[in-house]
Amino acid sequence: MAVRVNPMLVEELEHYGAEDVSKCYHCGNCTATCPLSQERFLFPRRCMRYLQMGLEKQLRSSLEPWLCYYCGECSEQCPREAQPGETMMSMRRWLTGQYDFTGISKLFYRSWWAELGAVMLLAVLTCMGLLSYGFTEGGRNLSVYDGPGAFLPAHFIHELDWVMGGVLFALLLINCFRMWRFTMFDSHIPISAYLHNLLLLPLHFFTQKRLRECENKQPWAFHLMIMGGYTTMLVLIVFFLPELQAGPAIRWEAHIFGYLASVGLVIGLVVALRGRLLKALPYQRHTHESDWIFLGLLIFIVLTGITQHILHRAGLPLSANICYVVHLMGVVSFEVTQVPFGKWSHLAYRPLAIYFSKVQAEAFAASVTPFVVVPALETAAASAPPAGQRVA
Amino acid sequence: MAEERIGVFVCNCGTNIAKIVDANAVAEAAKDIPGVACARSYKYMCSNPGQEMIAQDIREFSLTRIVVAACSPRMHEGTFRKALERGGLNAYLLEMANIREQCSWIHEDTAAATEKAKELTRAAIQRVKYHESLEKRSVPMCSATLVLGGGIAGLTAALELAGAEQQVYLVERQSQLGGNLARVDLTPPYLDSARDILKDLILRVERHPRIRVFFESELVELKGYVGNFRPKIMTSGADAVLELEVGSVVVCTGYKEFEAERIQQYGYGRLPDVITSFELEAMLRQGRIVTKSGKQPRYVSIIHCVGSRSSQFHPYCSRVCCMTALKYTHEIKSAIPEAYVTDMYIDMQAFGKGCEDFYRKSAEAKTAFLMFGKNQEPSIRMAGPEDNCSMLIQIKEVLSGEEVEVPADLVVLMVGMEPREDAETIARLVNISRDKDGWFIESHPKLDPVATTTDGIFIAGACQAPKDVTDTVSQSRAAGARILAKIAKGQITVDALYSEVEDLLCSGCRTCGGVCPYGAIEYDEKTGHSRVISAVCKACGCCVATCPAGAIKGRHFTDEQIYAQLEAVF
Repeated sequence: MAVRVNPMLVEELEHYGAEDVSKCYHCGNCTATCPLSQERFLFPRRCMRYLQMGLEKQLRSSLEPWLCYYCGECSEQCPREAQPGETMMSMRRWLTGQYDFTGISKLFYRSWWAELGAVMLLAVLTCMGLLSYGFTEGGRNLSVYDGPGAFLPAHFIHELDWVMGGVLFALLLINCFRMWRFTMFDSHIPISAYLHNLLLLPLHFFTQKRLRECENKQPWAFHLMIMGGYTTMLVLIVFFLPELQAGPAIRWEAHIFGYLASVGLVIGLVVALRGRLLKALPYQRHTHESDWIFLGLLIFIVLTGITQHILHRAGLPLSANICYVVHLMGVVSFEVTQVPFGKWSHLAYRPLAIYFSKVQAEAFAASVTPFVVVPALETAAASAPPAGQRVA
Repeated sequence: MAEERIGVFVCNCGTNIAKIVDANAVAEAAKDIPGVACARSYKYMCSNPGQEMIAQDIREFSLTRIVVAACSPRMHEGTFRKALERGGLNAYLLEMANIREQCSWIHEDTAAATEKAKELTRAAIQRVKYHESLEKRSVPMCSATLVLGGGIAGLTAALELAGAEQQVYLVERQSQLGGNLARVDLTPPYLDSARDILKDLILRVERHPRIRVFFESELVELKGYVGNFRPKIMTSGADAVLELEVGSVVVCTGYKEFEAERIQQYGYGRLPDVITSFELEAMLRQGRIVTKSGKQPRYVSIIHCVGSRSSQFHPYCSRVCCMTALKYTHEIKSAIPEAYVTDMYIDMQAFGKGCEDFYRKSAEAKTAFLMFGKNQEPSIRMAGPEDNCSMLIQIKEVLSGEEVEVPADLVVLMVGMEPREDAETIARLVNISRDKDGWFIESHPKLDPVATTTDGIFIAGACQAPKDVTDTVSQSRAAGARILAKIAKGQITVDALYSEVEDLLCSGCRTCGGVCPYGAIEYDEKTGHSRVISAVCKACGCCVATCPAGAIKGRHFTDEQIYAQLEAVF
């Protein structure tokens, strides 16, 4: 059964950052050098090939782009400077757009001013919404930050967070289901394989341990700081907002985690920004507009969050409230644009991809040796691929 | 044969011979043989003192014949012949016994090897008694040259020769010069215009006072030998053939293209928008790339190796098509920037200067490169009404492992090169050979790619093997330079070794002429005998062995000499 190619696929991915894929002449050095490339899931050359040839369905059902952690070693080795690392990144952006059922993700990636416009719009709407609530149902006094007369009471923000979180999480869940549909559905894998490997999801979500397998360990360390700081703040805000907001005295049993998280975030984000400006490491040499928006918003949130906390504890409730509103404008813009439609989604797609890849490997091993008890995960991953199936 | 005084010199060659063969013992054994006046061994006979030793001994001992037992004559026969001349003896009064390559280098038993060396030396001694003084001769060389073919190869060769004020006769079959290159628009990798290149060359050739061009003409006969050829030229429409006198001939007859309709699955001739590379060149020269329906194609595919690298058609690579195909990707993208260009190849032969960079540029211009396997050619069919293209190419793509369908509105077939239909005729006329694929054979594939086994006949350009303009020009200029060197010498040196027919014994059966690989034997109608053209004879000995009457003598390889050698051994 011959597959019809889509000659326009390369042009399409150019919007997502793939500029140099046509230069690749398939020497395979990239796949050879990749520390994360493994049997059954060899990359990046095969993905480059799917893209070059316009094999859209094959690319859409690939897990490989998510198995890559962009150490950039492949781009360093490429004799044609075809930037396989950045091409894989562009595929992740494209896949994010493909998984999203609304079409908003595609729009944001293809035009950064649409994304920026959405950010601005959401910021303005948030500002108007918060101010109107604050002056009507809320404390009505901009100079009161905490306590019963708070301008923006904790319980209100708390409900807002949960509603927004719920909607965004639901959208993301639908997109994750579409990811499963594209990548796993055709394989008809038994439920047991899925259940067997379930713990891999939280494992990789929290530790990003595969990034450690790249030669340079620093990216993993700094990324963990950002990720760790972010999830800590997320937990604090979602579950412990009243404790956080109470003040102006510092409630150490809650705030210590906030401080640690902030330190991690500040260090990690400074390193990230500096790296991208100086183009230090291979993966920092190409920054798509969506990357700048993501990073910019994160830095904005962290800075305003820290500032409003300092202002509050320093006994400047008016300034603190203003800063808090600004902070929340950033938070809403960031979460709404990025969680289901933007870069944030990689928190879900990557652990899922790693999980799915292990599930596939296990199921395949079981099918090759039908009369033997399903072997342990390690030996399953090491078994040879069948003839005629995926080529490197 | 008077009483000979033979000098025997046995070389140790350092340890090359001495390690296995006892050179002193060989020299001692030689002393006992009747006719040997002196025998000695030395470390390196070929060294200056060694050669001096031979020359001196000739004078001191009044030697009349020399035997040198040493390495292969292919190494130092020339060296020792010169030494004899310095000593006052004719160079051909030397015989070498090969006790190195044929003895010390191949045996380990020193006693047996030494005995063998003694026998080889004895054989040489008995043979050399029958050697005769032989002289080299010189014959005059005509400085004019015949160039067959007016394409890029012929034009270049003609200008090279005429530029040195030598007369050139250029014979062209068609009514204009330029050959196949005249059908080409630009040349890879620097995209120079073939038209400009040729226009300049043609103008210079037509205006040059030393070049006479014969249009619509062909060679019908070539008699003679190197330095003294007598070609006969027939011009269409003329009454009689013209006979010329030339010293050398350069064959530049070129190639023809493979007929694409022979490959069924490409649909050439059936599908209107499947064209050959030359047909695309014609479009490019007009400045418009369109399908038969007059529209600009959106999807263009180029397929390499059409008729080449195939077990069914030709096994060889036609060398120029890969780079030409890349040239097309550039030209198509320039003409139609929004076109999608797919290039289907087996391997990308980007062998020359600037070619790898050219390949890279094509990739940067967003050409999609698809690879298929040898003998697994893609197939082309018409697309359906709901497809947004006119044809579909099905290809088993190697780099992805997938069987895919590629849309195409225009398909360009890179047809390979083939020898011309008249190549056999030309080969027979000038007496050169063709290889298994039909290309003319050069004298040596590495060391002598412009000469042939027939002295005075040179080959240049694609008629020898598929090649591009760069290599064609190199070859043509090389052929020109070779001829100019000969002309500068002014004379053709005839080697002293050739065969001779004894008229009294020759019955005119002409068997010898039939076996001579070099065309060196002519039959004289008047006398009824065959005659060896000494200038062309290479002393291979075929005629000597073949003659039923034993009427042919091979100089320096007479029956007496050979029998003496054999008797000494047995």
